[in-house]
Amino acid sequence: MNISAHTALVFAGRALVLAVILVGAELGIRYGLLSRLFFSSPTEILGALTTQYEQGTLFSNVGITVMETLLGLIAGSLAGIAVGLVLPQMRTMSRVIEPLLMVLNGIPVIVIAPLFILWLGLGLPSKIGISVYIVFFAMFIPVYTASLQLEQPLVDALRVMGASKTQIFWNVVVPSAMPSVYTGLKIGSGLALIGAVIGEFVASRAGLGHMILYASGTLDTPTLYFGIIALAVFAAILSFAVDAMGPLLVHWRFADEK
Amino acid sequence: MLEFRNVSFSFSGRRDEVEVLHDISFSCGADEIVAVVGPSGCGKSTLLSMANGLRRPSGGEVLLDDKPVAGPNRLIGMLFQQNTLLPWRSVVENVELGLEIRSESKANRRDKALTLIRQYGLGGFERKYPHALSGGMQKRAALAQTLAMEPGVLLLDEPFAALDAQTRVVIENDVVKICRAGKRSMVLVTHDIAEAISMADRVVVLSRRPATVKEVFEIPFSRHAKSVSEVPAMPEFASYFKRIWGTLDISVSGMGEAA
Repeated sequence: MNISAHTALVFAGRALVLAVILVGAELGIRYGLLSRLFFSSPTEILGALTTQYEQGTLFSNVGITVMETLLGLIAGSLAGIAVGLVLPQMRTMSRVIEPLLMVLNGIPVIVIAPLFILWLGLGLPSKIGISVYIVFFAMFIPVYTASLQLEQPLVDALRVMGASKTQIFWNVVVPSAMPSVYTGLKIGSGLALIGAVIGEFVASRAGLGHMILYASGTLDTPTLYFGIIALAVFAAILSFAVDAMGPLLVHWRFADEK
Repeated sequence: MLEFRNVSFSFSGRRDEVEVLHDISFSCGADEIVAVVGPSGCGKSTLLSMANGLRRPSGGEVLLDDKPVAGPNRLIGMLFQQNTLLPWRSVVENVELGLEIRSESKANRRDKALTLIRQYGLGGFERKYPHALSGGMQKRAALAQTLAMEPGVLLLDEPFAALDAQTRVVIENDVVKICRAGKRSMVLVTHDIAEAISMADRVVVLSRRPATVKEVFEIPFSRHAKSVSEVPAMPEFASYFKRIWGTLDISVSGMGEAA
């Protein structure tokens, strides 16, 4: 079988699986085979979406969670990259701070979340804070490890050529860490969303997490499913976007695969 | 001229100092190739790291044209055993790295790099990344990178050890030609006696740790060979090989006695 035929088959298979789930749920609910309390059908979920739209809460709920996630991902990644790259350059400072960072990283985010709500209030900032907190570690740890494990011959070769510490930093340390930045972004993008939703679960007035929690409390199963699906779709888009950044971050690994 | 004058080097261990090199003296003039051979772990590479400025001798000094080498020097280039091309730079970007470090203008360094790349048989690979190159081509690119800075002295730390036999001879030959053509000084560290005789005008044999200069052999004939690959077929080769091997061999059997 040639490659394009294989790809076509895979996509047809995926479409079939999706169709079976959707049609199964629709028919199951319609003919009473599935309980309306535990499951929901595509039409009911679309109804929930329409209701959200008519109430004017669709964009605020989706938009807020998206905003929290993206800001958390960007700020947390930048902080993780900066600290991960610079800390190994300062040996004493790095040895002083490392245990503190490791302890902070060990605390489950769910128990840190109330602290952020206390500090930053019920709104957006506290959710971004929680998101930044977990994304930071997802980025910091791989970048820090990579910066500590430099390939010494590369550094030596540059030193012999007369490179300054700054030139070695930009020409060896930073590019050496780029594969780890890519890894950090992949892990961090998932965690950013988790951070935002956890924040909304702990205390909030809006967002998809808030909507899901409210729907769960009121036994509004279609809205609950709508919230979960909306989160899944957003997570998938985010993951594709991060994957697409590979050729920018580690261009040399993608160079000869055209 | 590069001169090692009474050079000693000690690593500081947990409790005491471990002397690796003891009172080493020899020199390498312009248009001269010196090979340093010695048992594994005798400190050959450490010796070069004092000439390239990465380490300071514990005693004695390394002189370049009678001035002590106090750190990396633009007149001293080095080819390492490992592949030291930056994986995230294309061949041409790697070749111009040294010039970039010296803040030469972009147009200027690109010109020089492209000329060298064509000269060393890497034409067509300018935009490739190092991982797409064979071991021999990586070495050529690293050589072009070093030569782009126009060093008067070339230091080679077993740079051909990882290459296959045919590629190796071709590159050895190129390096000798380049060195002779530019009237450069070259110090080559190797564990391969045949390579040392084939390439060098002089072979310095080191003892095992703490290494001292055991004997220096002048090789008068390798310079006259048309190519490096012809030297082993020359009538004088075998006797020199035997004598150098014999000088090294004492160290080997010495280790046997100790065990």
